[in-house]
Amino acid sequence: MDYALLIEWTLKSLILLLVLLGGFAYLTLYERKALARIQVRIGPNRAGPWGILQPVADGIKLIFKEEFTPASADKLLFFLAPLITVVPALVIAAVVPWGPPVEIFGRRVTLQVADLNVGVLYVMAIASISVYGIVLAGWASNNKYAMLGGMRSSAQMISYELALGLAFVTAILLADSMQLSEIVAAQRNVWFVVLQPVGAAIFLIATLAEVNRAPFDMPEAEQELTAGYHTEYSGMKFALFFMAEYDKMIVVSALAASLFFGGYWGPGVERFPWLGPVYMAIKVIILLFGMIWVRATLPRIRYDRLMSLGWKVLFPLALAVAFITALGILLEQLWLVPLLSLLAAFLTSLLVTRAIWRKVYA
Amino acid sequence: MATVTAPALDLAARFPQAVRPDTRPGYSGWIVEKDHLLEVATALRDEFGYDLLSSVTGVDYYPDTMEVVYHAYKTTGGPGIVFKVQVPRQDPIEVPSVTPIWAGAEFQEREAWDLLGIRFVGHPDLRRILTWEGFAGHPLRKDWKEPFYEEEAKPYKSRWPDGKFFYAEEKNPFKDNLKFPPDFNPEDWTPDKADALLYASLARYLKSDDELKTDRVIINLGPQHPSTHGVFRAVAVLDGETVVALKPVVGYLHRNHEKIGERNTFLQNMPFTDRLDYFNSMSNNWAYALAVEKLMGIQVPERAEYLRVIMAELSRIQNHLILIGMLLNDLGAYFTPSLYAFEERELILDIFEAASGSRMMCNYHRFGGVVRDIPPEALQKLKGLVYDRLPRKVDEFDRLLTENEILVSRLKGVGKLSAEDAIRYSITGPVLRACGVPYDVRRAEPYGIYDRFDFDVAVRYNGDVYDWYLIRLDEIRQSLRILDQAIRQMPEGPVMSTKPQYQVRVPPGEAYGRIEAPKGELGFYVVSNGKPNPWRYHVRAPSFVNITALEKMCVGNKIADFVVILGAIDIVLGELDR
Repeated sequence: MDYALLIEWTLKSLILLLVLLGGFAYLTLYERKALARIQVRIGPNRAGPWGILQPVADGIKLIFKEEFTPASADKLLFFLAPLITVVPALVIAAVVPWGPPVEIFGRRVTLQVADLNVGVLYVMAIASISVYGIVLAGWASNNKYAMLGGMRSSAQMISYELALGLAFVTAILLADSMQLSEIVAAQRNVWFVVLQPVGAAIFLIATLAEVNRAPFDMPEAEQELTAGYHTEYSGMKFALFFMAEYDKMIVVSALAASLFFGGYWGPGVERFPWLGPVYMAIKVIILLFGMIWVRATLPRIRYDRLMSLGWKVLFPLALAVAFITALGILLEQLWLVPLLSLLAAFLTSLLVTRAIWRKVYA
Repeated sequence: MATVTAPALDLAARFPQAVRPDTRPGYSGWIVEKDHLLEVATALRDEFGYDLLSSVTGVDYYPDTMEVVYHAYKTTGGPGIVFKVQVPRQDPIEVPSVTPIWAGAEFQEREAWDLLGIRFVGHPDLRRILTWEGFAGHPLRKDWKEPFYEEEAKPYKSRWPDGKFFYAEEKNPFKDNLKFPPDFNPEDWTPDKADALLYASLARYLKSDDELKTDRVIINLGPQHPSTHGVFRAVAVLDGETVVALKPVVGYLHRNHEKIGERNTFLQNMPFTDRLDYFNSMSNNWAYALAVEKLMGIQVPERAEYLRVIMAELSRIQNHLILIGMLLNDLGAYFTPSLYAFEERELILDIFEAASGSRMMCNYHRFGGVVRDIPPEALQKLKGLVYDRLPRKVDEFDRLLTENEILVSRLKGVGKLSAEDAIRYSITGPVLRACGVPYDVRRAEPYGIYDRFDFDVAVRYNGDVYDWYLIRLDEIRQSLRILDQAIRQMPEGPVMSTKPQYQVRVPPGEAYGRIEAPKGELGFYVVSNGKPNPWRYHVRAPSFVNITALEKMCVGNKIADFVVILGAIDIVLGELDR
């Protein structure tokens, strides 16, 4: 066994974890600041200059809050649920390539914790686990709101995972690999978002549902279910759910960047490989802003409409798009892919708009 | 618009045995024999067209009679009719319920039962509504005394005029003068007992009749819930996420406004009305001033009339803006629309502050005018708002929200109510107009100087929440039209027709003052017996009456829609629970 390899892995994992945990804390600040600006407010500005110590204050508050377990809750599951939710969110990040391979001390190091040859499958498999945490949290709380939230989240996850999977397929087809590092490498000249804009759009929409962000935040729908699955949680247990959501936001943004937005590629990366992670970070921050923007702007879709959107709109569209991509590759006419996909997307949105406006008054 | 009733219609000739005119000085309308009430009421609705029952309330004429007062109107406009039922004041006091004729009487009759102990025979669900089951006595009865009771009427001699005051609580330490009924022990009383009747009324919905024999769940939305707009509680029976039955439970904010109002002097009630619908204290003031001015028979100077219109319309604009913002919040749009709305509201509140000295609890109206004139700078600001900023902002709201796909898909077809049902349930205000009934008190029976203005009664025809939303935008635009005319026409002059005074002399009699408040028809029924304090002071709160139909609107919709429907009806708990 190569000790250097062991040290490398440990160090890389440690750095990744720290980045994710710190990122979670500062993502909350980023979100609050951005939301405040959109809402004609100032946002947190008391703790430290520009409020940069706000996450620290929040963390301290959450740590010292009372951990309350309802008397009628299932104690073991109630305790386990936040862990089941948060661990997969962190683990997915292992396969994301943050930059091209670099030389450190004469050693070629990939900026990726694990370069699995089935990276995409791994992501799909792990990401789905966290829904168990949410369902179990809802069930173990022995609270009707939490229960409804948990049920909603499982239904939502099933309806969106298919579309999400098919969006992955378009990227896999275009790169001819399931290995994330190769998918990113394949985008050296053309980002896949150019070749497959609709696939990228489906991916972004489905990931919003995957991470329970507005307008798909059904499981926690504050206005209806008070706080949904985490109604009964407080203190650090609550913070873990929160952490899972925000870490997942970071990770799916990184995935979206890797799959469709050229990953670490950007001007000058070939000469200075260290620019890779910088580009990656910029892309992630921009994609995160998109999520925050959507949250500040859009009302929530109703639960049953969300299901029909998943099954009746996104899933068929994703199928069509996957088919179109395959067709374009088979005919070796790649220019057909974006054209036909956009046409399909346009038709779909036309039909949806008609259905919305025609509804009811029949 | 001198009195509420114009007895052009001779009810006594139509029902010689059952009806006689009310001949007490200062009173009007008809007294109906108890046994013929339903017959007369049916005729009023079907033959004479009084299809909208505005208010049902009781008056305790201690020690002899208990009276139930009904105010009914035509949705086609014109003056209304008052009729009363008098029964001897001996328990059980029983009056037939008019719910079969006007379903909107349901909650108001429950309120009269709760507060006055009038038992309405034939009422479908006669439970206490504002106080809780287990409450001893009926607080609005004149022989009911509150704990720490001091005197019948304010100003209490212990505190006034010398300024040497003590609190009754200090003389009577806590619990010393609390009396409970013999079978009531506060130590082991639990809310479950109070809810037993409520849950019993829902029991029949719990069995599902589909093939799967699925369970239905009872969910308590509230009293602590983020989107019930206060301490409102609804007990819903859910089949999956679909609402099967729903009962509103109100009264968590109940402070017996009306009893306190009877203890207060007439003028002391003016700031007290601010606390009803705390978004629209200007409108509340006006409705109350209108009722008392009718009793006193005094006129309001021109400039004050214009100021009243300006304040009421501004208050309507800010109310509707907030409603739209909060409705979007209920839909899950994370605070952005509501904060945009609040920005405009603050500017309107600036005007209120400049004119009245207070942003929310304005206490601006007086009997015979308004308390002070609007300063010129505020008028300038107001012009800037009305001519420039608000029209732009309304268009902005319209542009950003109206055609948003998620909004449309969430609101269309939700909470649908037909025009007939809306009238039957005594719904008033924007919700009624969105159901296709162009009924607006400002036009139907103009008060103040509304007959001088050129404006349209906004009306929409689908009766779903989407139309409830659209009509608010329409009404803001109409209010801006009225404001435009009012600002241009407003003359110079005094703003009070009488000498400012702490104690007004109100001759005996009754009066019902009603206005088109932003939330619906706001009515004050005031009875005076010539003393400095009102004998009866009743608030016909639009929030309270409008939720009578809440169950009808919600059943069959999803639980998420309930939140939206409740938000779009526009309730304020200060007014609902009183």
